[in-house]
Amino acid sequence: MKARSFRVLTSLLATLTALGAAAQEEGVLDSAVVRNRLYRPAGHPELSLSVGLPVQTHLTAHYFFDVGLAYNLFDTLAVEARAGYAASRHTGLARSISESFLDRQDKKITDELEDLWQMNFHGVAGVRWAPVYGKLSLVSDIPAHFQAYLWAGGGVGSFKRKSVIQCSHVVDRTAGVCDDRTSLDDRGTAREDFWVHETRVAPVVSGALGFRFFILDKHGVKLEVRDWIFRDSYRVNLLRDDWEAGRETGEKAPSPGLTHLVQFDLGYTFSF
Amino acid sequence: MRTFPRLALLFTALPALALAQVSSGEQPVPAPGPESAIPPEPVSASPQPEPPRAPRERPPPVTPAIQHAPVRAIEASAPAPDAPVAMPTPAPPPASADDTPDLSSEGPRTTDASQQRLVNGAPLYDPNVNVHIVQKKRFADEGHHEVVLYPAVVQLNGKYTNHVGTALHYVYHLQENFGVQLAGQYNWYSDESHFNLELIDKVREQAQAASSLLLQWGVQAGVEVTPLYGKFAFLNNSLAQFSVVLSGGAGLGATRHLIRPAVANEVDGQTFQVPARYGDTGTKFLGSVGGGFRLQFGESYSIRLEVRDLLYTARVDKVDGCSLSDFEAMETARAGNQPFSDLKLSGGCKVEKFDGVDPKTKKNYREDIILGRDLVAEPSSDVLNNVSFYAGFSILF
Repeated sequence: MKARSFRVLTSLLATLTALGAAAQEEGVLDSAVVRNRLYRPAGHPELSLSVGLPVQTHLTAHYFFDVGLAYNLFDTLAVEARAGYAASRHTGLARSISESFLDRQDKKITDELEDLWQMNFHGVAGVRWAPVYGKLSLVSDIPAHFQAYLWAGGGVGSFKRKSVIQCSHVVDRTAGVCDDRTSLDDRGTAREDFWVHETRVAPVVSGALGFRFFILDKHGVKLEVRDWIFRDSYRVNLLRDDWEAGRETGEKAPSPGLTHLVQFDLGYTFSF
Repeated sequence: MRTFPRLALLFTALPALALAQVSSGEQPVPAPGPESAIPPEPVSASPQPEPPRAPRERPPPVTPAIQHAPVRAIEASAPAPDAPVAMPTPAPPPASADDTPDLSSEGPRTTDASQQRLVNGAPLYDPNVNVHIVQKKRFADEGHHEVVLYPAVVQLNGKYTNHVGTALHYVYHLQENFGVQLAGQYNWYSDESHFNLELIDKVREQAQAASSLLLQWGVQAGVEVTPLYGKFAFLNNSLAQFSVVLSGGAGLGATRHLIRPAVANEVDGQTFQVPARYGDTGTKFLGSVGGGFRLQFGESYSIRLEVRDLLYTARVDKVDGCSLSDFEAMETARAGNQPFSDLKLSGGCKVEKFDGVDPKTKKNYREDIILGRDLVAEPSSDVLNNVSFYAGFSILF
């Protein structure tokens, strides 16, 4: 979820930026094709609602629900604050790993897996730069006016982390049970699990590349790819005997790297 | 492992960046169409709808030579064969703020018969014609050949695998919005992902063989359609036209699987670095769907930014042509230190790949038999989606 996701956003940003300048190439330029803007957001505040879905999931999956307030300083530049909640969960792969690793007693020393932090509440403020204004001919007579933009900003988020390795109270090793379920085959009957949990509040950086399609006078639809970036943190050199006895073990990874949560956001905007 | 894909990514952006540098300093070329006369600097700051208000504000044109249809919109999805690509008429000075030109100042233009040229059945400057939505395409694709080079194709959804390659496509545009396509791709980097290696290292789990199959190369035939096109302004002073491209195809691709990662081999006090070893897992059926943008520069060049999903069926029951029974026979012979020449193996099994010693690294190939057997011990199958970002440029002729 880290380097791979980052590549997606970086490549799109780089190429879009280059495209703008490349548009000056002779033969493509037209002195006044879309120079006149039908929609001019400058000076208008804006409210937006968005839902974010994960582009790809490895060990965690996030579903973002955000509210944004923006003020358009110019037609091409706006400041925006976004806040919301990300519903997150472990993927089936993470659950499968946790269950099978309980019984893998030949592995006495190991490290925690990367990218297991799950974001919940978050708030960021940033700048939206929309250098591209265009028209798309959907069918012969239906124009779609759009802006393409880059978004960058930062803020804070609350995070939780549930280990898939450290079970402090193994209930059934063979069946991979580390909770108080009443039925062995039904994890839904569990009220509490014994995996090691952590929580924290940490800085978050976010960047996005998106399109805003104008609809009527005040409405709009946004499509964007957004990357939420935060510093990872996990422990290494864990001893199985210690964690299964409920003792803290290992030390923090010296260079944990960054975690990227790449989302596809679908949003609605209303301009006042 | 992580730095290599990032370097490849930077390489991906090079064509676009290079064009961006070349493009500086170019002067815009005026083009025909009613929007050419629209002033660049608006007065009103509030969004306004885009009604064709011109007929109310403009006196009837003097166009006796042409018989017009009543109010109708001009469909501009294809270049008109009888219309020139660019008109020499310079754009008049700005006079209005919204998307509708102030046609009251354009009266004299309509007296020019050349400007009354029919485009799809209606004249460009007819006051009774709706404002053109998107200017007609300036360059025709129909009948043209297009060769597209994608210097770097980078996989985006590399959960268990990473691929970076180069692709070459040929498109013949049968019609303005439809073409046939031949596509070839070679992945000069294909390896298991950092995530998969992390699972192996930390929890002794890994993706099934079929899920971590690597695509070496692929060839396809297919079609390409360009249902939409549009235009955009960059910072109000640079304009470009683009097409939305959709494509699909089918073909064949060669696959392989990692048998053993790179290791250090110590022999007689000397350490040899043994490169990773891959096993051939056969040629698979390949399909693809994709979409993206084509940004045209002049009549002969364009930049393409696309995302394609290569789908291929993956069933791993043989590695280097050897099945599970072949590996078991070889393993038994290896344990007994017997030659493989007497073994009765299946016809396609490349036994020489698992026998002998590499003269450079002193690595005994027989040590890889057990690794190959593990791959086919539990035959696995999957349908893989290799979603990649394609950045390239093309030449039309």
